[in-house]
Amino acid sequence: MGLASASTATDGMQLCIFDLRRGQNEGQELDKILFFFPADLPFSTQLSVIGLSEGLITFTRIFSPEAACEVIEAERHSHVFYEAETDIWMVMVVEKGKDSDAIWRIDALRKVLKEVHSLFVMFYGSIRAMLEKDPSGGLIRSHLYPFIMDYLSDFPVGKKLQLPSFRDCLKERGTVQMLTMGREAAIEVQSLVSVLDSCAGNSSSYSMILFHDLLVSTTLSPDDTINLFTYAALRLSPNALSSGVNSWSYIRRGSTSSHFVSGSALTHSGPVSEQIYHSSDTSPVGNNINRVTRALQHGKWYKGKDGFLVTDIWGVVVGSLVCATPTVWLQQTEEAMYLCPYQFKSLTLILLIPVSSILNGEQGVALVKQQLLENASLKILKVEEKLSKGWGGENAYHVSGYRYLLVDGDRNISRASPPGKVTTLAKESLLALSKLRDEVDLEKSRAKRDNAGCEKDLEVSIRAKNNAWAVARITGGKELYMVLEKASETLLYASDAVEKFSNRYCNGAFSLD
Amino acid sequence: MKEKKTQSVLNRILVNCAAQAKEYGGCVAAKVPEVECDMCLKQFLALKNCMQNTPSIGLSGSGALSHVYIQYPPLRCSIPESRGLHYDDGTKLLIPSTSNQIFSWKTVPFNPLATSTSDSIPEGPILSIRFSLDTKLIAIQRSSSEIQFWIRETSEAFSHRCRSDSENILGFFWTDCPLCDFVVVKNSGLDLFAYDSVAKSLDLVEMRKLNVCWYVYTHESRLVLLASGMQCRTFTGFQLSSAGIVRLPKFDMAMAKPEANSKPVLAAEDVYIVTVYGRIYCLQVDRVAMLLHSYRFYRDAVVQQGSLPIYSRKIAVSVVDNVLLVHQIDAKVVILYDIFADSRAPISAPLPLQSRGFPRSYSSSSRSSGKDGECSEVNNKIDHEGIIYGDNWTFIVPDLICDVSNNFLWKIHLDLEASAISYLAIAASSSETPSVLEFLQRRKLEAIKAKQLCLGIARTVILERRPVSMVSKAIDVLVSSYSLSLKTGSYFKGIKTESTSSGVAKTSVARSNTDVSTSRIDGTSIRHESTAGVDSEYPSRASTFSASESEENASSAPLRTDSRDLQLGGGKVDRVNLTGAHSSGPTDNPVFVNISEQQDSELTSPAISPDEMYKFVFAAVEEEMVGDPSYLVSIIVEFLCSTNMEKIKVHPNLYVLAIQLLARNERYAELESFVTNKILEPSKEVALQLLESGRQNIQTRKLGLEMLRQLSLHHDYVSLLVQDGRYNEALRYARKYQVTTVRPALFLQAACSSNNSQHLAAVLRFFSDFIPDFRTTSDFTTYYGILNEMNTSVAATSF
Repeated sequence: MGLASASTATDGMQLCIFDLRRGQNEGQELDKILFFFPADLPFSTQLSVIGLSEGLITFTRIFSPEAACEVIEAERHSHVFYEAETDIWMVMVVEKGKDSDAIWRIDALRKVLKEVHSLFVMFYGSIRAMLEKDPSGGLIRSHLYPFIMDYLSDFPVGKKLQLPSFRDCLKERGTVQMLTMGREAAIEVQSLVSVLDSCAGNSSSYSMILFHDLLVSTTLSPDDTINLFTYAALRLSPNALSSGVNSWSYIRRGSTSSHFVSGSALTHSGPVSEQIYHSSDTSPVGNNINRVTRALQHGKWYKGKDGFLVTDIWGVVVGSLVCATPTVWLQQTEEAMYLCPYQFKSLTLILLIPVSSILNGEQGVALVKQQLLENASLKILKVEEKLSKGWGGENAYHVSGYRYLLVDGDRNISRASPPGKVTTLAKESLLALSKLRDEVDLEKSRAKRDNAGCEKDLEVSIRAKNNAWAVARITGGKELYMVLEKASETLLYASDAVEKFSNRYCNGAFSLD
Repeated sequence: MKEKKTQSVLNRILVNCAAQAKEYGGCVAAKVPEVECDMCLKQFLALKNCMQNTPSIGLSGSGALSHVYIQYPPLRCSIPESRGLHYDDGTKLLIPSTSNQIFSWKTVPFNPLATSTSDSIPEGPILSIRFSLDTKLIAIQRSSSEIQFWIRETSEAFSHRCRSDSENILGFFWTDCPLCDFVVVKNSGLDLFAYDSVAKSLDLVEMRKLNVCWYVYTHESRLVLLASGMQCRTFTGFQLSSAGIVRLPKFDMAMAKPEANSKPVLAAEDVYIVTVYGRIYCLQVDRVAMLLHSYRFYRDAVVQQGSLPIYSRKIAVSVVDNVLLVHQIDAKVVILYDIFADSRAPISAPLPLQSRGFPRSYSSSSRSSGKDGECSEVNNKIDHEGIIYGDNWTFIVPDLICDVSNNFLWKIHLDLEASAISYLAIAASSSETPSVLEFLQRRKLEAIKAKQLCLGIARTVILERRPVSMVSKAIDVLVSSYSLSLKTGSYFKGIKTESTSSGVAKTSVARSNTDVSTSRIDGTSIRHESTAGVDSEYPSRASTFSASESEENASSAPLRTDSRDLQLGGGKVDRVNLTGAHSSGPTDNPVFVNISEQQDSELTSPAISPDEMYKFVFAAVEEEMVGDPSYLVSIIVEFLCSTNMEKIKVHPNLYVLAIQLLARNERYAELESFVTNKILEPSKEVALQLLESGRQNIQTRKLGLEMLRQLSLHHDYVSLLVQDGRYNEALRYARKYQVTTVRPALFLQAACSSNNSQHLAAVLRFFSDFIPDFRTTSDFTTYYGILNEMNTSVAATSF
């Protein structure tokens, strides 16, 4: 543990991915490392972090073979474990209490790991599959490194990574934020969806519609919805398109070369790197490095003349200037799909067309796009108009007097007070809620282990140091977290306020009695 | 189920005979505007044969099929020593006369077996006869300067003569205009008279000086057109209706010149006044240009509407159920137009008029189509009794044919099925199915049949998986038509009659003792129907019109805004008229024709309610449909879109169907968004279906439970909670909402099966407090015993 904590060159965060099935023989330990951040850490340090994690996993498996280690709380560090795929582990090490913001909610960190893995799988398929394709590990390393670096670049504050801390306790990663709309708009949207579905002919295409960065409709399975929604909110929404250029500079300042990250990272990692990554330079796989698509690369999407969003991340079709259409993997159907995003004002439509259904590649995609423009333009216009009319703006879901987070665990939907409003809360209030959430997370996972299928109802209200109330209510798979900063008020008041909120905004879902 | 059977007829035709229908449509589309005798007949016969060979199609019971037909037997009004045959369109009487006697047959309702009444009149020449509107007086024109009046009650007579010898009486008619009762048209103008029943004389009310060559009048439109000028093509019009007299602006009719210096003269028989959808049109034959010009009358303008080509030197015009029939007499064919839309395209190919129901049977299908050069020879003859389009045929607007030589009166019928199919075939080539539905929705005469056809077409387009956009348009047509009929109140009338007539299409003519055609003739359509039974005063009726019309203004599509429309009361389907702002200016009171005829309750609307859409379209289609149900879901969404637009309630069954379809596809996530966004409105039926579909998907079940709770269906909610084993929650809920209808035994059972003695004790305790006498019930003793057993066994094992 001491070894792991010894590293100094980091921003207090380490992230590694390793495969327990690899490097089991003495001298081959480096083989198991698939990814390590920061990459310039000496291998000895990397190996000590991984060794510790591996040891703990092996040890805890003795008692709990199904769900091994989740977290280690050390004096100065927290180690968060996530088993992304069988025997492929992601471990995040965060430093505690170095500065006042370094107070973490473990589950939130684990959600980060989960998210980055899910996104990776969406674009490249599972890590295991890639390892099987190239047992040397060069292929997966060359993919993981730029991908995760691009992903992490979304968390920068100055030179540091700002991971989700207690300040983000009124947010829930890995959920979808929905737009609330009236019946009429909903019907219009549904009508548009059926037009979109018919664009690709008889093949089973999928669609997703966003308004700003809120989900309007989806025909995807819940898991795929989360992944694609996350990606769309990160890179495709009108917001992301306009701001992407500014915020991507965390790792690569000023450079635009698409394979620069992997290349530079390798050289930075010093002479030892030759040992691990040697295959990449000599074998044919080495060429792949140059062709690695950086799906999360910033500022690479732009809106074409026809309203479709295009990117050259996936390269350019040989012999033409047409950008290749991105492809993603669907978890549910395990099918490769072309990703065709279209944007009209604040409305983003994403059409997913099975690759197998289009025989002549880009030409076929262009044809479908043409179809979409012909059949759906009018409806898109109408839907955009309807949604804009009913759109309450950035603070649409603000409820004055409340700072809340509403999570529907069954549907993976969350809604929260707008971030701007949350920042008005005192640190004490947020700390209290963060702690409360930690407790609730624990309780939840315990309940899940004990009797799967049966849902537990829960109600906790705690008083923070500043006399604010932090409230959590869980019932029927729905969770409500709330901070009430009316210091002088009683518990009765707090409970009443929650009741009111529940009746008003949640159809009485949290009115327990 | 008879209804079911008739419904599938069209389906089968459209499915089985698609090829023939396409060929026919293609032929018509290719050949029009060229026309020839029996054009596309071959294709039509093929289509027809196909239809007839399709099993279980008893198309109207007649062996043959054509768009337009006359039904045997005619009204025979032959009397001995007949001197002449007259028709009075004011009272709709057919009047043959001898020198001193006249007979009168009612033509409305058209009944071939009707008997006549006779009146003896003074002997003398009879140029024309018209009964007064209350049929108390008979006006008989004796010469060009004298009209004799015969009072039927007292058998008295008096005469009216022109003042000067230079004046010629061109004609006369009775009117229900409040100013006058009797109008005489002379070559020097109009004389308007009031009848003084006491003095038994006519008092001159007003004179309109004007040179008149000839005139045209129909009682239906209350419009008299006076021709003047060298070519007789300058017209002055007056509408003498119950609302008063409206003078129309002078206008000229277009006439092409055959050569530079010749000026053709327009003849009276080349001008027709017709009312279609409550609008008044004038149709004028231009023999040189071979065109039929149409003019539409507005209060302050006469607007030329466009021209239809004609293919015969001699033509005649009829209107049946607001469909314009142009008889090309030389070619012996008739072409159908629906001039509601701006389209001037015919809705059928030119085909012969057919006679049906002859005792000696020969149908046109028996003749070979190989006889080239012979133009429907067989069809041209009506046995010995007359020849179709013979020289002795006089066409009486709107829909009668008078065979003068035989003293027969035929009524023209429209075969709605054939027309619809033919229209559909033509429209199919341009995928204009919605316009066919519009056409059918405008039908008033055979509303039930039109409705069946609409349902059939709707089913077919869905079953054939036509593009959603097209089906959506078709649905829009049906829904907006229903919405309109709701506002006008005609729909509920329709339901009433439908329930008695059970979908048999041909009922209207035969079984009505009421007057179907009258109401159409008067162009009143369904508005009056809503006030049927109320013997309303004309002024008050007019005012109710305006009131309800302004309501409709808001909703009806802004096709065109003609506030100046010269109207004939009614025209309910005429949305164009309704769009006008009838609430301001001098056009505040559009001119309505008063209706003296008895109104009819038989009249129905072909509008289709959402319930019927569900029953006869969605549910029926769902049964037949194979494969991916998502298409049907999209169609249902489109339907909901339309109904939402028109603010019409949808039956929960449709929502239930949508849930079933989505669940079948395992599109649970979408189902969820359908429910949360209230696309499927909450109701108990929906909730129960969600619970049912939720057997496969727990989230869906939750949605159903949630819906029950939100609908405050406490009993169901609590029972289901108990069923799920969530008895604690159920108890809390029961206490909160005082639900006492769920038996305590259920809770106790659930608590018992959880094998937790503490819980069981808690539940027992709860009921002891909650229900006063619970301790005395058998439930208590039973479960108290069980609880004790549990406790002792627990105690036993713990040691």
